[in-house]
Parts: sequence; C-alpha cells; structure tokens
Amino acid sequence: MLAEQQLQSDTRRTRRRKVPWSFVVAGVAIAGAVLYLVLANTSASAEYYLTIHELRACTTCASRAVRVAGIVAQNSVVRNDKTQQIRFAINDQSETMSVEYGGVVPDIFRPGIQVVVEGHLVNGVFQAQNLLAKCPSKFQSATPPAGTSQ
Amino acid sequence: MHFSDLGMIAELLALIFAAYALVSSVLGALRGQAALIASGRRAVLVTAAFLLTAAASLAASFLTHDFGVRYVQEHSSRAMPWYYTLAAFYGGQEGSLLYWTLMLAVFSSLAVLLHRRAPATLMPYVVAVLMGLEGFFLVVLNFVSTPFVRQRIVPDDGAGLNPILQDPGMLIHPPMLLMGYMSFSLPFAFAAAAMITGRLDSAWLRAIRRWTLAAWSIQTAGLLLGAWWAYHVLGWGGYWGWDPVENAALLPWLTATAFLHSTMVQERRGSLKVWSLGLIIATFLLALFGTFEVRSGIISSVHSFAYSAIGPWFLGFLAVVIAGSIGLFIYRLPRLRPEHEFTTVFSREGSFLVNNLLLTGIAFATFWGTIFPILSQAVRNQTMTVGKAFYEQVNGPLFLLLLFTMGVGPLLAWRRASWQSIWRNFRGPALVAAACALVLPLLGVTSVWANAGFSVCLFVAVTICYELWRGVRVRHGHGESYPRATQMLVSRHRQRYGGYLVHLGLVVLAVGVIGSLFFQTKTDAQLRRGESVRLAGYTLTFQGTTATTQQSVEVVRARFAVSQGASAVATIFPGQRIFPGFENQPASIVSITTVGLNDLYVFLAGYDGADSATIQVFMNPLVPLVWSGGVLMLLGGIACWWPERRRTGALLEARQPVPVEVTA
Repeated sequence: MLAEQQLQSDTRRTRRRKVPWSFVVAGVAIAGAVLYLVLANTSASAEYYLTIHELRACTTCASRAVRVAGIVAQNSVVRNDKTQQIRFAINDQSETMSVEYGGVVPDIFRPGIQVVVEGHLVNGVFQAQNLLAKCPSKFQSATPPAGTSQ
Repeated sequence: MHFSDLGMIAELLALIFAAYALVSSVLGALRGQAALIASGRRAVLVTAAFLLTAAASLAASFLTHDFGVRYVQEHSSRAMPWYYTLAAFYGGQEGSLLYWTLMLAVFSSLAVLLHRRAPATLMPYVVAVLMGLEGFFLVVLNFVSTPFVRQRIVPDDGAGLNPILQDPGMLIHPPMLLMGYMSFSLPFAFAAAAMITGRLDSAWLRAIRRWTLAAWSIQTAGLLLGAWWAYHVLGWGGYWGWDPVENAALLPWLTATAFLHSTMVQERRGSLKVWSLGLIIATFLLALFGTFEVRSGIISSVHSFAYSAIGPWFLGFLAVVIAGSIGLFIYRLPRLRPEHEFTTVFSREGSFLVNNLLLTGIAFATFWGTIFPILSQAVRNQTMTVGKAFYEQVNGPLFLLLLFTMGVGPLLAWRRASWQSIWRNFRGPALVAAACALVLPLLGVTSVWANAGFSVCLFVAVTICYELWRGVRVRHGHGESYPRATQMLVSRHRQRYGGYLVHLGLVVLAVGVIGSLFFQTKTDAQLRRGESVRLAGYTLTFQGTTATTQQSVEVVRARFAVSQGASAVATIFPGQRIFPGFENQPASIVSITTVGLNDLYVFLAGYDGADSATIQVFMNPLVPLVWSGGVLMLLGGIACWWPERRRTGALLEARQPVPVEVTA
C-alpha cells in the first residue's frame, strides 16, 4: 500500500518534471538574453557617482565619465555668450571644483542650487557633457536646505 | 473648532473602524458567524465615510485658506486659483498619503458592495487583508505624518505651490498614478484571501482579473498623463527619461500586464497557477515599492521629494508583506499543481509564456537599473548609476521581441499549432513586413534597429487587421452586412477584441517611440531680434520678447515666426511663467507645433531684455502617435474590463463555436 503510494507520487513527480525541450530552449534563451543584456550594459554604461574629493583622488577616472553633485558657488558663474560656454564652481561639503559646460543650461540653474554634472576632469577643470539641476523638491514648496540631500 | 480638528477626529475614527472590520471579519470567518462578517463589511463602509470626511475637511481647510494648518500654509497661497488650491491637496506627502488611504477605503467599499454574492468563505479574508493594509496607512497617517497639524502662529498667506506643479496636468496626473498604485491592493487582497482559505479554483481568478484590469487601466492612464505632463511642462524635449520615479510606476504595470496574460493560460489550460499568483504578489509589492521609493529618498533622482520619517515605516511594512506573502505562498504550493502540461512553445500558451518571460525580463532589468545605486553602494562601497542608455539598450531589444510575440501569439492555436497553419496565417503579414523592411531604407531609415522596429510594428498591425477581417468575413458569409458583422463580432467577444485594441495601441505607441528615439534632431541657438535658426527644413525667426503680468504671475513670451521654405507655418510663443515667491524657478511654457505627425518643440531657455533669447529647438518625429496609441491602449483596457451585459441570448451565443478560432 505504502509502496504503491510512493510509486504513484514518484510517477507524478517524474511526469511533472517532463518539460518539452522547446520550452527549455525558449526559456533559457530569453533568460540568457536578459541576463547578458543587463550585465553587459551595466558595465558599459555604469557611471561613478563621486564626491569632488574622491574624483581628485581617482587615478582611473580620466577615461570614463563620472557624475559629481554639488552646489553652484555664489558669484562663480561666468557665461560666454559667443561660444555658449558657461563656467562655474561647485562646492560639496569639503571641496570646490571648477566646471565648464557648453550648451543650454536648465531653467532653474543659478548660484545656490544643487546640480549634478556628468563628464571628465581635465587638468583640474571638470568638462561637463551634461548638467542636471535637481528640481528643488518636486512635491514640496520649500527648497530643502543645501547639503542635506544625498 | 476648525475643519482640521474635524479631519483629525475623522481619521482616528477611520483607524478604529478599519481595525474593527479586520478583527470582526476574521473572527466571523473562523467561527462561521455571518452576523460578525456582515458587521465587518459595514465597518468598511464606515471607514470610507470617515476618510471622506477627513478628506473633505482638508479640502475645506484649503479652500478657506486656513493657514493655521501647516500643510495648507506650505502648499498653497491666496493668489492661487481655486482649482490649484484644491490640487495642492496631494501636493505634499501627508495629503498624498491621505488620498491613498481614502482611495483604498473607497475601492474596498466598492469591492464589498460589488462582491456581495461572492463565495462567503473568500470575502471576509479579502476584507481582512484590505483593512490590514488600510490599517497600516491609517496608523502612519494618524501618528507619523498627518496633514492636520496646526501651528500656533497663523501667517497671512501661504508659501504657494511649486510652479511646475501649477499646470492642468497636475490636476489629474498625481492622483491618477497614486490611485494606480493603490488599486493593485485589490487583486493582491483577493490573491491573499484565496491563499488563506485555500480556495484556489477559478472563481477567485475572475475577480482578480477584473480588478487587475481596472488597476492596469488606471496605471496606464497615470503613466500616459505623466509622460504628457513631462513633455509639455519640463521642456527637455522628451516624455520618458527612465528616471527612478518613472521606473517605479512602470514596474507594477509590466508585471500586471504579464499577469493578465498568464491568467488567460490559467483560465483556459489550468497551468501557470504558481506563476500567476507570484506575479500578482510581485505587482503589489512593486506598487508599494513605487509609493514608498518616491517618498523615502533612498534612491536619488532628479525629482527629489521631501525626505521624511515615513521611510522606515514603509520599509518595515514592505518586509512584513513580503514575508507574509512568501509564507502563504509556500504553505499553499502543494495545491497549485497544473491541470495540463505544456506541449510545445509553438502554441498559444507557449507564446503567453514567452510574453511573460519577456515582460518579467524587462521588469527585472528596469528594477536592476533603478536600484543599481543601492546595489553598487552595498557591494562595492561605491555609488554608481546607469543612465538612459542602459535602459534603451537592454529594454529596446526585449520590447522588440515582445512586439513580435504579440503579433504571433494570438494567431497560434492552443496546445499545438501546426506548421501548416502557422504558414497559412503568417505568410501575408510576413510578406508585408518584409516589403516594409526593404522599402524603409529607400525612405531614409538607415538604422537597422529602427527598420526592424517599424517592420515588426507593421507585422503586428497586419496580423491584427487580418484576424479581424477573417472573423468579419465568416459572419458576412452567414448573411450579415460588413458593418453589422464587425459590430456583432466585437461586441460578442469584447475581451478578445479589447485585447487586440490594446495591442494595436501599443503598436501605434511603439511607432511613436521609435520615431522620436531614432530621428529626433535638436539645435540650440542664441538669437537677437530678426535672426533665425533652421532645423529639419523649418526656419524660426525671432521677433522679440514681451512680458505681461496676469494675476500676479509674470508671463514672458518670445515670438517666433515659423516657416517652411517660403511658406509661413505658424507664429509661436514659447515662454516662461514666473510665480510670486518662486522668482528663481520659472515654469516653462513649451511651444509644440504639430505638423502632420511631427512635433516642432521649442523651449525658451533664457532671455535678455526684449531683443535676445536663447532657445532649444527639437524636431520630434511621430510623437503624436505616442499619445494616440496610449489612448487606444486605455480604451482597449476599459473595453476588456467593462462588465458583460447579461442578456438571455448572450449565453447561447457564447456556447456556439467561435468562428474565428484557428484550428490546427
């Protein structure tokens, strides 16, 4: 009796395990493709989020774009309308860094707001390809005090 | 007594009644006392009534400008028109939380009223789970983050609402998205109740499906409105940026879509039960994650929200829900055996499985990218982010495959499709698609990915039209006129054709996305009066800037004449609105001129007096298709969800063999 039950549950189990090969192939192919795409693109497009201090200490950062967040320093913004270049300095808690950026700056860009710059450090000046201004808190009217976020 | 006091009392009473509903439902179910169960159901309605009172109190505080309430003072001002004053209700975290809680109570009441005839064993637990969720939100609302806090000094005026939120999109986008997140609670509650009671047959499935369709439609609307709002207000020329906040809203949508497909297999073939249940639980968890992620500040985003005390509460709650769901799931696993085995991937159920793998794959990749900063911080002690490129390169090919499956799947027979029928059904659409792929390079589509995308879209569209045509032809053969045949066919199989409408909408949307992704052109220009800039055959000539003040809002408008060759197309006025109190945060007035299927998108980035302006000009091809496709998807979702009319003839009709079914 017991052996029979055992046998029955065994056959059921083996029957359950029988998955058609086409499913295995399709499943493995899709899962493999997803994993490959995710992993390959993660290493290709990952960007370091560094503080100014970390960026200056980084020896391998010249070759890849990094992101740095900081507050635009007062009285540091110099616009060159001819070349549409803008030069300014950003501060984080400890250090200050000069940034150069070409192109249109966001609406809300001005000294005192928090920005994220994306680019390379070249000879001590950060050449930004991208300039993101943090929306001063989308759902809160008051701007959060500088330096509290992150 | 102020309105806010009334609100405070009401939300406390709501908590008490929610707790009572939970306890009495469970006790009633355990002891088999119908009176207790009925009492629990009525308590749900009372909870909703008290929350409506609380919400009305907050609305009244806003409309009477009661700046003694801190929340009102922080989010509105006397200068704001009444509709934005009212919209400020969900302009901050506390109000959003109240809104979420209210909506859950309203939907729970709807469930109680609509499922009066549902199996008596299931409903008490549905009520219990819903009230458990409601209870958590009410505890947070009452004791951690309430909008009714008063301040001793009553200022004369409030701080006002963030300018970018003072837009018609603000009136509906946030409440829609919050409602979307919330509405995934209902399928979850049904699933959890089914697991608790062990009644895992197909009765609960139908209820879950309907609620998921409703939630899916709401979330679709929320996502669309979000994209629309971003496109029309933010001024960066796009509608989707793969920002963590956007991803959070997309994730439950993806898994819900997968669930809607996998339940079709479950209904028809009795398989994929474990998978479907897992999907609906995952959907709810992702919806909770979305609600919480945007408010906790754990992931930094360009939308920075206020950081607050509710983060740990949500994290704890998430952990409890995850642990509870997994526990129940493992407990019930033995009852979830499939009734039929799969035979081959070349079948309807096979295509559904592929669709599910792709959708969960996309969800996984998106989730991975979203939490990558946390992952990399934890593993390598170094915050790293992945940007737009990551999502485009990973999700792009997966979406393309998904589209292809969408074209193939509905035409495959259940169990096993023969090669013969596959050939018969697909040679037409495949030929059209192949011709399209050959012609597109001649029209200037040089990118292989764009070409493949367009061709696959056409393939899917043709298969859908072909399928409809075959059904109509069969009915026409039985003596119905073509319009009548179409109408009868669609109304008799509304679920099926609603699904096709969603697919068609997605195809149209995909064409729009591919167009704007591959063929967007842009230029920046700084112009003096009389100077012009050219882009994609259009010439924009700057004619000066004017500034006016409307109801204390300063409106700056730059005037441009747009011409194509020698003929004038339009005169446009991109501009900025500067709100009192927010002088350093101008809100953009983006000018979008739609010519045919292309959007000429002009953003005024800056100005210097009346004679100098800096603009960004984008040519966004096919973007209008994104909106029309999205609306089609929404309509299709509603068509699937809409209750069947109960007619005497309808039952008979449904039993007849479906003429359009593909037989292998």
